[in-house]
Order: sequence, then C-alpha cells, then structure tokens
Amino acid sequence: MNRVSQHLNIPDRGSETKVAAPRPLRPIIRLEGVNKIYGLGETTVRALDDVDLTLASSEYCAIMGASGSGKSTLMNIIGCLDRPTTGRYELDGEDVAQLDDRTLAHIRNRKIGFVFQQFHLLPQISALENVMLPMVYANVPSPERSQRAIQALEQVGLGDRVQNRPTQLSGGQQQRVAIARAIVNNPVLLLADEPTGALDTKTTQEILEIFTDLNDKGMTVIVVTHESDVAHYMQRIIWFRDGQVIHANLHPEELHRTAF
Amino acid sequence: MDIGESIKMAAATLLANRLRSSLTMLGMIIGNASVIAMIGVGEGAQKYAASQFESLGPNVLFVVPGSEETRRQTLKLPKTLVLADAQAIATQVPTVSQVTPQIQDQLSIVYDNKTTRALVIGTHETYPVVRSHDVFQGRFISKLDDQRGELVAAVGSDLAQRLFGSENPVGKQIRIKNLSFRVIGLMEAKGAFLGTNQDDVIFVPLSTMANRLVGQTSPFGTELTFISVTAKDQASIPAAEFQITNLLRLRHKIIEDDDFSVRTQKQALEIVGNVSQALTVMLAAIAGISLLVGGIGIMNIMLVSVTERIQEIGLRKAIGASQSDILIQFMIEAIILSAVGGMIGTGIGIGGVLLVGFLTPLEAGISIPAVLMAVGVSGGIGLFFGVVPARRAAQLDPIVALRSA
Repeated sequence: MNRVSQHLNIPDRGSETKVAAPRPLRPIIRLEGVNKIYGLGETTVRALDDVDLTLASSEYCAIMGASGSGKSTLMNIIGCLDRPTTGRYELDGEDVAQLDDRTLAHIRNRKIGFVFQQFHLLPQISALENVMLPMVYANVPSPERSQRAIQALEQVGLGDRVQNRPTQLSGGQQQRVAIARAIVNNPVLLLADEPTGALDTKTTQEILEIFTDLNDKGMTVIVVTHESDVAHYMQRIIWFRDGQVIHANLHPEELHRTAF
Repeated sequence: MDIGESIKMAAATLLANRLRSSLTMLGMIIGNASVIAMIGVGEGAQKYAASQFESLGPNVLFVVPGSEETRRQTLKLPKTLVLADAQAIATQVPTVSQVTPQIQDQLSIVYDNKTTRALVIGTHETYPVVRSHDVFQGRFISKLDDQRGELVAAVGSDLAQRLFGSENPVGKQIRIKNLSFRVIGLMEAKGAFLGTNQDDVIFVPLSTMANRLVGQTSPFGTELTFISVTAKDQASIPAAEFQITNLLRLRHKIIEDDDFSVRTQKQALEIVGNVSQALTVMLAAIAGISLLVGGIGIMNIMLVSVTERIQEIGLRKAIGASQSDILIQFMIEAIILSAVGGMIGTGIGIGGVLLVGFLTPLEAGISIPAVLMAVGVSGGIGLFFGVVPARRAAQLDPIVALRSA
C-alpha cells in the first residue's frame, strides 16, 4: 500500500487539508490522443476518436452531447473505470492510462467521487453506513469512519438523517447521501453522471447548489448532462459528437447561440 | 480491504436477504444431514453385525454340510455330516477344545391346550459352553440324558414365556410329535442374531432328536444339521479350520469338491462387513449426490444474485472496490452459506443418528471423520461453486451495471 501511495503521489492524511486550497492553474486532467475502440476485426466501434482535453484544478465543467456521442465512454475513462485503447491520460499529474485493476480501484477510491442518476445507495444499510462504504475500501479505521461520514452528511445538509434507510428518504435526500459518499474520501475530482435526471426542478436546483458550493471550496466538478438548464450552472461546457470534442471550452451563455 | 471487513459485509448481505439465504442453505443442510445420518447408520449396522457375531461364542467355528457352491445353489441341503464326524473332530483334532453337533428342525410343541411352532435343537451337553448360552434355571441336557435318549428339554426364554407365561417351566410336561417331554431347564435370554430370535428355541438330547423326532439315521450314522466347534484359542482358529477340513476330506474320501465347509467367525464377519460396507458406501454416495446438488443450488442462487445485484457491484467498483475485493466478497458469501448450511445439516444428521440409535438396536455411530469430512466438503463445495458467480461478479463492467437502471 505504501509503495502504491508513493507511486501515485497520494498525499498522506496530515496534508489533506492543504490540498483543498484552490490552485487553478494546475491541470487535474490531461487527455492526449485518447482513442477507445470497442470490438475486434471488421466490426470495431470508435467510441473516442483522438480526444485531447485538459481540465485545470477547481474547474466546474459540463460534458454535453447526444446519446452515443461518446460522453459515457469519456466518463468511464476519466473515472478510471475503463482504460483507453491508445493515448495518454494524466490524472492529478500521474499517468493512469494503463494501470492494472487494483491500482485503478485504489485511484477511484482516493481521487474520484462518483454521483449517479439513480443514486445507487445500498438499500439494506443506513445513510451513514452508505457514506462509510468508500472508507471501508480505503481501510480507514472504524472510529474515524463514522466521524468523517457525519461531517460529509452535514456538508450536504443531512446531519439529522444519518440513521435512515435510503427507502425512507426522498429522491433529493438520497442524492445528497450519494454526494456525501462521493466526497467522504476527499477526492480531487467529483464526477456526476446525469445527477439530476431523476429529480424535480426544485430539487435539481438544490443539488446543483451543493455542487457549486463544493466547487467554491476548491473541488473539481464534472457533470455529464444533456440538459442545458443544468449546464448553465457550470463555467465551462465540453461538447461531444461522434467520439470527438466539437467544443472544448464553450461558455454557458453561448449555448443558445450554437446549433447542434 | 481486509478480510474481516469482507466477512462482515458478506454476513450483513446474507442477513439482509434471510429468506433467500436460508433457501440457498437448504440444499447444503439436507445434503450434510443425509451424509452424516447415512454414514452413521451404516457404521452402526456394521458395529451391530460385529457384536452379533461375537455373541455366537468365542473362537467358534461351524462345520456345515455341502460345499459353498452347493449351498449357494440349493435350498435343500445335502446331509453329508454325521455324528461320527463330530466325534472324530473331538478326538483327532488337537486344536479343538469342544465340539457340539446339532440337528435342528421347526416342529409343533404342545403345552396344556396351547400349540406353537419353534426351532427344536437336538444337541450335546457342550452346547452352553460352545455357544455362550447359559442356563437360567434348572439344568441343561446332560451326557447321560443323551446316552439314554431321555425325553427331557431345556426351553429358550421367549418360548417359555409363550407357553408357560409367568409359571416356572421347570418340571412341566410338554408334547413334541406326540412324545411327552419333561422340561428340565430354562435358558437365559440371548437376544436376536441378525434378526433371528435365539430364544424361541427348545433343546433336546441329540439322540432323542435323531431317533424319535426327525428320524435322520442313514447307513453312515446320525445326520447333522451342523457342528459347532470351539478352537483352543484365537490363534489356533486357522489351524483348527485346516485340520478339520483335512480330517473330513479323509473321512468323506473326497478327491474333487468338498461336500462340507468350515466357517469361521472371521469369514462370516467379513461377509457381513463387506455387505454393510457396500451399503455404507452406497448410502454415502447417495448423500454425496445430494451434497453436490446442494452445491449446485448455491451456485445457481449466487448467479441469480449476481444478476440481481449488478448495480451494487457496479457501485462498489466505482467507489473503490477492485475485482479481487468483489471476488472475495462473493466467495465469502458462498462459503458462509455452505459452511453454515453444512453445520446446521451436521447437527440435524447427528440428531438423526442419535434418534436411530434410540429407536433401533443399531448403535448410534457418529464418526468424527465423517463429520469433519462433511463440513470440509460443504465448505469446499461453497468455494468451488462460489467461484463461477464470484468471477462473473468481479468481471462486470461497472458503468454498464450502473447505467442499467
């Protein structure tokens, strides 16, 4: 474990509070010539076609595009759930493009927080235990887990619901639990996949305000969405089509003027 | 993630799905319970048979008419053994201490106005010693009774109970084939031998039996049903067997096949042992198959469970579970299911064996190796049949899993 942390340059627990300070110019994500090809021989599908992309630390960014445009594949690769066929991917200064499964799992655990459309909370355990789950995989000692989980739940405004089962919570509350779970290991990157797709307008606003708040505190946030209302909360929009980046740095104000 | 956390997590998942977990375990429970019970009963039967043969008397050999071949092929046995053979064995075979010739037949016995059928055994005074069957009351047939062809009888305990009830049988007069016999003794209860009641018998002098009751006197002498022989000690049994065989071959002028055979307890034990061992193996095989079916049941339900929990697996991967974490979690679930099922089944099996021991004469034989084997095998089956579902779970593509809402 020690060897891996050194290799990945993961800060130890003592220095974590300093990491939270925004350093806008440091690139957190750098994709260079990334290709992702599915299938073999004649029937190959090029899901990502020579993608170059750089995101700086503390950016607040939306990835948009029609379905089948390659957003999901990009998210898999940025989220270290999948490896590019060719190309280079640097996350937080480390090349992670061809690491093995165990190391990628470790990176997902420490550096990336995921939020999904369907929340994906485990139904048989409490909100608190759901938030504690990433720390179980991180081998955090038991007493520290609940303490940090409660802090994370307070941060998303759910300090009073820690013992409830997911089924006893509303959709918005469940998504807050999911966000608390995503941030509990202090990741460098929050990756949200259609996080408001299952929520009403009012709850959508509340959730996006949490993202904005987290971004204000220095966390890099990427939201994959197809709703321009959602994208308006972000500073930057990356537009995808046919596995290629059409616009790498679109401002939300330009969205209505662009015909896609 | 350390193994303690994996076990905690697996246990929590299994507890959250109690119905599914217990149904999955059912196969293992039944499989293990039947393995333990079957092996226990089989071993009990083996022990029972062994104790039965020991009850025949120490160091006893039987000389029976007809070769093994003819005994296998016919129901009506040849009458090739005669009293002179028994006397020759007693006088000429040095390794033999006692010889008891026997003629036996099922005959009607009348007392008062009661008629019943029982095994009438004509024999010598050596019988109680050779066959370890003691007199309870009165006396057994004496040498003098036999020489004089007296009409006297010693009754077995069950027959006495049937004929005389609570009355003392000694001194009573009974009729066998219209001859009046005086009861001179009551035998101790001996119990059943392989299901044959040894107490539903009546003993008369051999000469009386041969001359007055069955009339088995050929030109060669008094024909016997069989001869019981006691060897001097355990070590001389093989020598006695060899010497008796040679002596009778000479006496019967045998140049080809024997017309008699000599049986030792060891042979009889081996035959019964082989039969009951085959039985045990067969029972264990049947039980083993149910154990296998139980294992397949676990694999089946675990596979369904992987499909059902596809999103949970995807999520766990997204928040930092490696393939091996997922693999270990599912393996542990399978092992817990089969091990717990195995232990419950073992408990039930032991209970079943004890119950059989309580209800039947079979001695309850809980064999520790069988218990260890069953628990070990069920754990192994969990491990073996857990691999396929666990691998499938570990190799799931997390994003596909998470998006299939």
